[in-house]
Formats: sequence, structure tokens, C-alpha cells
Amino acid sequence: MFHILTMIKLKKRPERMSFMNKNVIRSITAIAVLFCLLWLIGLGWAVGEYYAGKPEKVPEAKTVSKKVENKKGLTIVALGDSLTRGTGDETGKGYVGDLIDEIKDKTKRPVQLTNLGIIGQRSEQLRSQVQETEVGRQIQKADIVLVTIGGNDLFRGGQGLSDFKTDEIATIEKKYLDNLKFIFDQIRKYNSNANVFFIGLYNPFIELDQGKEMSKVVRQWNYDSAEVSAIYPKIVFVPTFDLFELRVNDYLYSDKFHPNSKGYRLIAERVASLLTW
Amino acid sequence: MNKLIQNEMMKLIAKKRLIVIAIIIGVLVMLFTYAQYKQVQTQREKLGTSDWRTILQQQIVDTTNRLSSSRMTDEWKKQLQISLQQQKYYLDHDINPTEPGAPTFMRIFLESSIDLFIPLMVMVIASDLVSSEHSLGSIKLLLTRPVKRWKVLLSKYLTLCLAISLVIAITGILSYIISGVVFGYKGWGAPILTGFNVTDTGLNTSEVKLLSLWKFLLMDFGLVWFVAIVVGTLSFMLSVLIRSTAAGMGVMLAALISGAILSNMVSSWESAKYFFMVNLRLTDYMKGTAPPIEGMNLSFSMMVLFVWWAVALFVSFFVFTKKDVY
Repeated sequence: MFHILTMIKLKKRPERMSFMNKNVIRSITAIAVLFCLLWLIGLGWAVGEYYAGKPEKVPEAKTVSKKVENKKGLTIVALGDSLTRGTGDETGKGYVGDLIDEIKDKTKRPVQLTNLGIIGQRSEQLRSQVQETEVGRQIQKADIVLVTIGGNDLFRGGQGLSDFKTDEIATIEKKYLDNLKFIFDQIRKYNSNANVFFIGLYNPFIELDQGKEMSKVVRQWNYDSAEVSAIYPKIVFVPTFDLFELRVNDYLYSDKFHPNSKGYRLIAERVASLLTW
Repeated sequence: MNKLIQNEMMKLIAKKRLIVIAIIIGVLVMLFTYAQYKQVQTQREKLGTSDWRTILQQQIVDTTNRLSSSRMTDEWKKQLQISLQQQKYYLDHDINPTEPGAPTFMRIFLESSIDLFIPLMVMVIASDLVSSEHSLGSIKLLLTRPVKRWKVLLSKYLTLCLAISLVIAITGILSYIISGVVFGYKGWGAPILTGFNVTDTGLNTSEVKLLSLWKFLLMDFGLVWFVAIVVGTLSFMLSVLIRSTAAGMGVMLAALISGAILSNMVSSWESAKYFFMVNLRLTDYMKGTAPPIEGMNLSFSMMVLFVWWAVALFVSFFVFTKKDVY
């Protein structure tokens, strides 16, 4: 009954007559109806699944897969706190980035870096981080492991300045050393071959009033950390205290706590000189 | 009725709209495929590996560090926390959230086009279905036939629904074929997680389910189709109400774009959740991201959209059967 309209349309555009026959229209309509039904089923399923679907227990990956990739490059894993992250470095690289640049200059092998540093991380947080399955897998693949930890345990965002004389610092240090042992145990468990470089602490407050006393605490802290590192094979304690001893403000960022680009450069150079291949 | 629909379908095909839409979708899919390919490549170069676990672990650490930044709005922080927990969940259960392959590309393409791109394509069809009859003058011919007015309109509406189904199908097929050239055609059976519940305290993972990607995709398609039908019905209504096609399109376009902007900033304006345009991102509920306004969930959004749909349909039929045509 609507053929009149159709005729008008077709008369206006006669060139379409040839291919726009009824069967084409009919089959397109049929396909459209099919898809319409299919999407309707999908919609119903989505709603049903969202509300009625029962949760399944999704198996958790507990074991570190033993499959080590066939690798030609050098794999570096960096663990730790804001120093690993590079906080305060205008270029954003941190000592890890600087170190990678140096390595790339010296070797032609491709370098793969996994930077797992988390700003503000303390030793107990790193302790739980190294227990994660995936972190373990990363360590397992590594040729070099870089660690910075302890700065936030000791200084606690500046709070360390006020209570370093009390007995509390002894308890904090004991806990820290305990965590450190655990972390090293874990790293050696995953990977007994990689060289581990543990970066020591410097004293950012050395030029303040109580700087000298604080330095004493930091030296003790570093000494104990070095002792712990020495228990394990191929864990090298890298001192940074001396780097920042003179003219500390030249090497500190405006927060007077993190190193600036120059400070990171110093740390990177020191670690670079220790690398072997 | 069948004949009426056939007739409308013929008019639609004669206008070559579907072909234009197919071309637009094809070009966009090509662009996105290339963009994604580039993204994957730069990521690989930056991290020196294509191992998804390493990349995901790195993303988790990066997000954790971003969270410690103080200059961040609360909503953004919450969203980041939720995506962080989700990423951790994927990693803990050894499931790749973006299994490479055309089906994953399809999923991402659908999820990102549900609130603007697909509605736009639907609008291209819907907004001149009735108003073009006015401008061509053929409305008088149409209405002088011995058929009830509501039947005429219903045939137009059903044709619109069929055309929308076709557009969704074209989107799916083209995105699969084109992206498959780069990413490969496999990956239908890849596992994907759904059922993350976003609560005030964060992400609730107690009801998480494991699905095959093809099932998940079918659900996504269903939701996209629903959104497209609602948007189509709204522009259909405008096409009945406003004689000028351009004006109708303008109104709809403004609504859609305002929705995209609003959903980024309405979290404190709670009654905005009754607008249809902030409820368009249905697929996000399947994926488990934080809704733009607290208290929104799949059934709420679907209810809101349903009410808008019903009102629009009622208004179109009411006006069309009553209005004077001259």
C-alpha cells in the first residue's frame, strides 16, 4: 500500500533501482532482527550475571613460576623508598636513572629496569612488598638488585630529629634490622646470584643545631646495616654518608631532605664504580 | 506493518546512512588500532620488556606513588585506589587484564565509545527520521494513506531499533577485523574478571567472578545496545518535536557532550544522577570502576535510562498523533 511513496523515491533516484531490490532489503532487515535479538540476549545476560551470578573462587597464583625468560639483556630491579623513586631530582631520574644511563654508555646489552620504589616506604612495608609473588618473580629475574631503605624508619619525616636521644631509637633500630634481615633473606631465597647493592643513609640534617649528634646516630645505623649486609654473600653496603658530609646543602633538594640532581649523581657514580660484568 | 517497516528500511538504505556510519567507524577503528599499537610499543621500549606481569607490577607501583601526592582531589584519589586494588587483584590471580588480541581491543573500544561515539552514530540515523519527512514534504503523502498515524510512527521506530542493532553489529565486526590485522584474531577465551563492587571503603572483591572474554563481550554489547536504544529514542522524540533536523541534532549533541563533561565533576551534586547522560557508562559497572556519583549502580542507571526511554516514547507518539501537519 506504500508503493506510491516508494515509487516517488525511486523515480527521483532511478540509478538505485538496479540493486535495491526487495530481496536485499528483506535480507538486511532479517540480519538486523537477528542482531537485535542477539544484543537483547546479551543485555539480559549482563543484568542476570550482575545480580544473580554466583561468585566463584578465583584461584590465586601462589607459586613463583620457575620459567625464567630467555634473556640477553641486563635486568635491574630497584626496591625501596623515595630515593629509589628519585624524589627531588628535577630530571625525575633519581640515582637509579643516572645509573642506568651510565650502564647504557658502557655496555651494548639492552638494559631492563623495574623500579619498585614507593615514596615514604619503611622497612616493614618493604618487608611485605618482597613477599608478593610478582615482586619475587621480578627479583628472581634480576642481575642487579638496588635497595634503599631505612631513611623513613630513622627520620620519620623530621620527627627523628627530636627523639633520637631517647631509648626509643634503639627499639626502632632493632625492628629495622630485623626487617632488613628478613628482606635480604627473601632476596637471597629468590635469587642467589644477583649482586645486591644496599645504599646507606646520609645525614640531611648535618648542618642543623643537633647535626653532630644526629650524625652519630646515622653512623651507628649505617654500621649496623653494613654488618647485616656482610652476613649475606654478594650483598654490598654502599656508604653515602661521606658524600653529603661537606656542603650538604649543595646536594639537597629544596625540602632539605631528599638529594637534588647533583646529589643523586654522586650516589649513582658511587654505585657505578662497584658494578662488575 | 511488515510492509511499512520494509518501506522505512528501504528509505534508510537509500539515504546511505549506514554506509557512511560504517566508513566513520572503520576510519576511527584504524586510528585507535594504530594508537594502541604505538602505545604498546613505547611501553615496551620504556620498560625493556613485553611481559605483562612486569608492566602491571610497574603500573601498580607507579599508581601507589601517585597516590602519595598531596595535590589530588578526593574523587580522583578514590578512583586511583580502586583501580590499584583491581590491578593487584589481577596480578595476585595471575590474570592478564589486557590479553593482547582483537577481542580485547573490541572490549576497550566498546567501553570507551559507549557514552559518546556510539550515541553520536545513532543520532545520525535517528534525528532526521521524522523531521526529514517534513523538510521533504513527503509527510503529507505519508499521512494521507489509510493507515493509522501511530502505525506509521511505530514502523519508523522499529526501523530505528533495527538500524541501531546493525550499527552495533558493524562496530563489533569492523573493530574485530581491522584490529585483528595488528593484534591477531585470537583471545576469545581469555579470562576476565567481573563483579568488583565499589563501596565506600574501597573495592569489595568478595563477589568476583571469572568469565570468558566472549561472554563478557556479549554482555558489553547488550549494554551498549541498550544505551544506543535509549539515546536513539530521545533523538527520535526530538525529531518529532522539532521540525529542523539540525536543531534536533544540536540539542542532542549538547546533551551528550554535557554528559561527558558532567560525569567528571558532578560527584558533589547528587541529584545530577537523574540525568540520562551521566548514566550512559553502563559497561563500567561490569568492569568495576567508581561511578561518577555515589550510590549509582547498574540497576539504578538502567532504571533512569528506562524512565527517560519510556517518557520519550510516550511523548513522541502522543505528539505525532495529535499534531497538525501543514
